[in-house]
Amino acid sequence: MAMDGSSGDEFAVGCLLSIKTTFGDEFEGQIITYDRPSNIVVFQEGLKSNPQSRRNIRLLKANYIKEFSFLGQSEDPLDLKKCYLDLNSLQSKEDAAVRQAEIDVERIGVGVTAEAQSIFDALSKTLPVRWDKTVIVVMNEVRVSSPYLAESVTEGTPAANERVRKVLELERRRLQTRGGGQ
Amino acid sequence: MGTRENRFQPGKSHINRMTTAGVQTGNTGGIESPSHDRLVYITTCFIGHQVEVQVLDGSLFTGIFHATNAEKDFGIILKMARVTKAGSSRGQKNISDSVQKPPSKTLIIPGKELVQIVAKGVPVTRDGLMNDFQNDQLHDIMIDSSISHSRHVDLERELEPWVPDDDNPECPELDNTFVRHWNRGWDQFEANATLFGVKSTFNEELYTTKLDRGPQMRELEKEALRLAREIEGEDTQDLHLAEERGIHLHDKFDVDEETKYSSVYRGVDDSGYDENEDILDPQNCQTYGDVSDSLPNNGSQITSRFSTVGEVQSTHFSTSNDFHPSGALDDPSIIENNQTNQQLAGSNYTKQDTEKHMVYEQNHTSKSEESSFLPNKESTDTGLSATATAFAPTNVSSKAQEKTRSNEVSSTSESGNAAPTAASGPGLSPSSSMGSLTSEKSTLNPHAKEFRLNPNAKSFVPSSPLRAASPVSDASFYYPANVAPAPQMHGMPVGIGMGPAFPSHQPVIFGPQGTPLHSPQTYFHSNGPQYGQQMLLSQPRQVVYMPTYPPEMPYKGRDF
Repeated sequence: MAMDGSSGDEFAVGCLLSIKTTFGDEFEGQIITYDRPSNIVVFQEGLKSNPQSRRNIRLLKANYIKEFSFLGQSEDPLDLKKCYLDLNSLQSKEDAAVRQAEIDVERIGVGVTAEAQSIFDALSKTLPVRWDKTVIVVMNEVRVSSPYLAESVTEGTPAANERVRKVLELERRRLQTRGGGQ
Repeated sequence: MGTRENRFQPGKSHINRMTTAGVQTGNTGGIESPSHDRLVYITTCFIGHQVEVQVLDGSLFTGIFHATNAEKDFGIILKMARVTKAGSSRGQKNISDSVQKPPSKTLIIPGKELVQIVAKGVPVTRDGLMNDFQNDQLHDIMIDSSISHSRHVDLERELEPWVPDDDNPECPELDNTFVRHWNRGWDQFEANATLFGVKSTFNEELYTTKLDRGPQMRELEKEALRLAREIEGEDTQDLHLAEERGIHLHDKFDVDEETKYSSVYRGVDDSGYDENEDILDPQNCQTYGDVSDSLPNNGSQITSRFSTVGEVQSTHFSTSNDFHPSGALDDPSIIENNQTNQQLAGSNYTKQDTEKHMVYEQNHTSKSEESSFLPNKESTDTGLSATATAFAPTNVSSKAQEKTRSNEVSSTSESGNAAPTAASGPGLSPSSSMGSLTSEKSTLNPHAKEFRLNPNAKSFVPSSPLRAASPVSDASFYYPANVAPAPQMHGMPVGIGMGPAFPSHQPVIFGPQGTPLHSPQTYFHSNGPQYGQQMLLSQPRQVVYMPTYPPEMPYKGRDF
């Protein structure tokens, strides 16, 4: 690939470099490309040129490269014969990812502590739960508010309430032991 | 700045051109240069992928890559982005400690703020993209790990294999709790009571037959112990048996855990028995065909299953003795006879019954008589003890079953024969079976003439259809679905399971107690499924004892 200018030579495709950014990130990788106009270097992380399809890619603006060292030269990491894109599948991939992310968002309480979140996660393994501000709503009837202890379990039918209480206590205990065991 | 998807079309074609022509195609000042194209290509690969964007102030944003302004400054649009690391403006603190904020639906990062984009596991080639697409499609399927949201929960701690503490004589290992002599008297209930003050309500008799421990049991116990010792001391090639008896068959390491402990039987002996495992289908002559095929091979095995038959009560003994001279003991012929008569309700069964009974009695009478209450034990000891021993456990256990309440019959016989050897030795407590034997009145005929096999006896052909079995008692029987055809030879259709696995058209005749058959009509078991024609119909006849014997179980190990 034709690069002009001296600075271009360092960014030839396939170069193995060790990079240190101005933010302190350090990594090693192979150059896939360098785009002059945007000043972006595209790296494929890892030194060996693995032919596998999934790679860790890094786009880095060249002006944030603090220092780099040349490790070697390898061949083009991109096999151009295999580079084809299906826009439709990309689109659906994005849609699916967004959908999943939205679902995930529902699970995360806003303005709740990490402990509350982990309790929520633990409860969600076996019970249908959702957030209502900072209150965990279980099975749409039982409410668990801060501080999310057995006493904090309110509402719902007695049976449901009992059940949520039990599950809550169990999960709390498990979280405790796990936290202690780590 | 807009989305760049439409840009990718020409970009894509550029890439194609690039691959084919390999020349620079740009004419707008480098924007369409191959290097730029590559950049565009890579960023296109990012679409829908989770990326992490670092911006000027050091903050990290994580989100789904949506678009980039490839023509201008490469600003980024992320969807569902959130801050994962606050930049220097707010100090370098981990975002998870602070109050979480909902992610932004769309986040636009201007090009000049952009420092770095990191994307992990990006499929770059077409195959990779296809795989990704397919994987995404799979995500719509609810798999357990996604349902459990395991990724949201803290990981368990690192697992380490358990290493037992040093062997402390006070803390015996589970394996050899009773090996040490001071532990022989270990009573778990006592220990529990002392340690924790827990009073046990365990009553052994709730779980097994009530034992009649008394002086007259001494003899039987001794006998049973002798048998047990004999069996346990036997040499065997079967891995499972060997392990139980402490014989180390294969000390080489090529015997892995699966071979040792799996219940899948992979021995060469399997071939013959597979046929017997077919579900019994009376409509299918093949089933009966199998019987004849397998019988010669499995003589010994089948006999084990019919050990209970061997114990047939006095009535049956006399019956068989009657047939003694006339019955043919040629197995295949018997079976063929049966097959022809198969369509006659009842006739073949009984004939089979008696004839097979004769065949097996030879092997079993000795055993059965030995372990039964017959005083003439000694008579059959000789010569047959080798084979007889093999069936002792089944004998004893099945005897126990017969004598006890019917609801125990099936399960114990089932288990007893399921592992004729595996469970027999250590598992079978002689006292329990003995107790059960004595708990009910013996129906054996102490004066029955000893069975002697007459190989030249003429094949028996019944004159009239025989009657069905005695009424089934109230208990529910369990029979596994894989009824062996061998029972057919016996003339007694084996009771097939009452459970859902029970093929309803199978004939069911069972009479656990050896009581005389009462009703001449088709007997419909009160608890079980009703069977139509296949039930044996016949007029009352002399008593035909139909013991319940478990259907054939896959033969495991005893090659006697």
